[in-house]
Amino acid sequence: MVKKVTSRLYMALIFLFLYLPIFVLIVLSFNNSTSRVNWGGFTLQWYINCFRNEKIMNAFATTLQITLLAAVISTLIGTLAAMGISAMKRRNQTIFLGATNIPLLNADIVTGISMMLLFVKFMNLGFVTVLIAHITFNIPYVILNVLPKLKQTNRYTYEAALDLGATPLYAFFKVTWPEIRSGVFSGFLMAVTMSLDDFSITYFTKGAGVNTLSTMLYTELRKGIRPELYALSTILFFTVLLLLVAANLHPEKTVAIPVNPEQTASPKAKKRIHRAYIAKRIASVTIIAVLILGSAGVFFTSASMSRGEQTLTVLNYGKYIDEDALRMFEEETGITVKYEEYEDPEEMYTKYKTGAISYDLICTSDYIVEKLIDEDEVLAIDFSKIDTYSGIDPTIIDMCVFDPDHTYSMPYFYGTLGLLYNTKLVDEEDVKSWDVLWNGKYAGEFTMMNSVRDSFSPALITLGYSINETEESRLREALDLLIAQSPDVAAYYVDETCDEMAAENFALALCYSGEAAAAMDINENLDYYVPEEGSNFWVDSWFIPKTCQNEDAAYEFLNFLNREDVAEMNFEYVYYASPVMSVMENMDAETRENETINPPKEVLNRCEVYRILDDDATALYNDLWAELKAN
Amino acid sequence: MRRQRKSMNKIKRQLLAGPYLVWIIGFIILPLFMIVYYAFTNSDGAFTLENLAQIATDANLSALGLSLWLGVLCTLICLLLSYPLAMILNSMQIKNNSLVVFIFMLPMWMNFMLRLLAWKQLLAKNGVINSFLVNLGLSRINIVNTPTAVVLGMVYDFLPFMLLPIYNSMTRIRKDWIEAARDLGAGNLTIFFKIIVPLTLSGVISGVVMVFVPALTSFAISQILGGGKVLLIGNVIEQDFVHGSQWHTGSGLSIVLMIFVLLSMALMNLFAKDEEGGTHLW
Repeated sequence: MVKKVTSRLYMALIFLFLYLPIFVLIVLSFNNSTSRVNWGGFTLQWYINCFRNEKIMNAFATTLQITLLAAVISTLIGTLAAMGISAMKRRNQTIFLGATNIPLLNADIVTGISMMLLFVKFMNLGFVTVLIAHITFNIPYVILNVLPKLKQTNRYTYEAALDLGATPLYAFFKVTWPEIRSGVFSGFLMAVTMSLDDFSITYFTKGAGVNTLSTMLYTELRKGIRPELYALSTILFFTVLLLLVAANLHPEKTVAIPVNPEQTASPKAKKRIHRAYIAKRIASVTIIAVLILGSAGVFFTSASMSRGEQTLTVLNYGKYIDEDALRMFEEETGITVKYEEYEDPEEMYTKYKTGAISYDLICTSDYIVEKLIDEDEVLAIDFSKIDTYSGIDPTIIDMCVFDPDHTYSMPYFYGTLGLLYNTKLVDEEDVKSWDVLWNGKYAGEFTMMNSVRDSFSPALITLGYSINETEESRLREALDLLIAQSPDVAAYYVDETCDEMAAENFALALCYSGEAAAAMDINENLDYYVPEEGSNFWVDSWFIPKTCQNEDAAYEFLNFLNREDVAEMNFEYVYYASPVMSVMENMDAETRENETINPPKEVLNRCEVYRILDDDATALYNDLWAELKAN
Repeated sequence: MRRQRKSMNKIKRQLLAGPYLVWIIGFIILPLFMIVYYAFTNSDGAFTLENLAQIATDANLSALGLSLWLGVLCTLICLLLSYPLAMILNSMQIKNNSLVVFIFMLPMWMNFMLRLLAWKQLLAKNGVINSFLVNLGLSRINIVNTPTAVVLGMVYDFLPFMLLPIYNSMTRIRKDWIEAARDLGAGNLTIFFKIIVPLTLSGVISGVVMVFVPALTSFAISQILGGGKVLLIGNVIEQDFVHGSQWHTGSGLSIVLMIFVLLSMALMNLFAKDEEGGTHLW
């Protein structure tokens, strides 16, 4: 009795461990509250938003397409391969099975990287490369499910059928197929499962604008949690639940996961199993039919949408454009925008330089623009083609010292690097100096930036050096400061900062002014300050890279961005200072005087712009950064 | 003549593996070759061992060490949680068996990122668990952005991969064997160590491999639950490729990682040696 109670209790505990998180997600998906934890009443708003959110829906459609295409193709190739392998001599079989085991046993990250290395040599990364990668890691599962079934079949039955005059195809369908059917089926299901859940391999092989649910969620989770994602979780959970319940309608024999159902039993039991099998198959066939029809629908609609249209491949920072503006551009011009995001400038530089994707238009930070101009990677912009260019504040253009003749870049937003703090927890006097990051007063309560130069800057400034320092000994001094500081740092964030500070998870954060303004908009206890010793002033600009394949569309996009209404939309979304003058003019007084958004002259005067670093200095920064992170 | 036709047929059947052979060469062998090529050359294309030697730098060594430690920890916790659970599930009546198993497998089918989202939400400093603790008048726990949170996320993500093979191997133990042992006077402990453990060893081994390898090589879990403070070898490699454009170094480290994966599997196979059938992944 005691034993039974203990074991029930144990099961209950593990059950709680597994389902409590999911339960929390479900509850929060109905929570009408901007704060995450408190209950603010019941709402279905997040579900509506979720279905309206193009990013989520696109990722969902892509996931379905990739999963089903990959599963079908790999089932085909895999089944054929299994039949071929079973006819081989033992030695050849061993070779084939050895190769089959490679993707199964190898780490996902290594498989993904190795395929990416191959793909970038021969083609642009995109939908097709993800599909190929998925097929590659799916085939082994199919083979390993079909091969045992083939080994159980009696070879002579097939031969006999041929002797009796059956064509090979007829003999296959009449003799072999019924025997291997269940293996093929479970192989297919396993391929579907693996494809649906894959992250690492997709992450390395995907191209611009292609996102499966996993990779989309990865980027979104790093930006901060949005309630739509709770709704998505709930929907997915119940879909999976329903599908699996349907697939297990007759639980006498079948186990939830396609395990080898080969244990034999008495004839009577066999008959029952058989019946269960049929019922199960009907259910499964229905499910698959629905899935295939659904994805075919999605596939054709998306195919018909993009057929024969111009495309523009854009690379921009995360959370750096109002997605409605993108949609507006697509509707007005008929150009399809393939939009890709990145988190830090070094990532953008790598993405561009590998040449894996040909970008038409890129927005990035000042010093990276300078670097690329230096490397002769940037096309001169013909500003006469951009009517709206005259709307940009000339004083801001003048500040773009990284493009001295102002021929290669068009400013998009500008701002500062500073300290976002919670006025309830941090003394206003403290943030006047960067010293607050080193003196231990807020140990464990503040976050730094997960970006090399932005984290080094406060250290360099504190030491009295320039933020463009390249001298190794001085950088090492800064590293020592950062290492000494690292036990006090709660986290290294980039796009998460706004959310985490708004949720009051931390007292103080190093962040950009726009991130700060957005957080202050949500939580009024927050404030922002650029310490007196100075900081970084930056301008993010658009440029047309040499890889551009659709210059006309690129110009049209640049023209569109400076248009009064669009600049306004993007400003409202991004909350950094816009160089478009009309935005400033149309702002209400309170926003205009908000120094976080529009840094006043004296703040700008104590700031410095990042300048280009040569390769050695870049490598040095990266090495030092790795040393810091390993500490 | 008949013989001839038969061998013809056999050759024809072997040809069915043709597309797969092309696929193996193009998308399995060639990519591996690429990674080896990158690992042993520098940016000028000259042969070098420096990329492999990168693993010996303090930064990378400590990342590898941490990965191994967290991987082992995660595997052990999964094993300790799953084994008793598999025994309990196995001892329940057959009738509702599959439903119960199904319940414990279900979370595996939900997207891996969404499972992480749940934990990120639970563990946040002002998250669900802490609000609950504060309401009870207890002090907060601060484990988000620490290795503990990463291990927790890993255990949550990989637990089914341990449970499933162990449970499968347990269902294959026939009741008569245990009864026979009992008739011959064996106590519970003896039965457990002499019958159940050896017969489930193959399941344990597949479980260990299926948990340890992804845990050792993961980078997404540490990125999301570690707040950029927990650096695993997977993160180092990801950074080399995605942020640092140091493909040669990244490839070198990948090769080292591959060696560790193979080593751990060889080690596991040693245990499995006398097991009939060896390891089954599923």
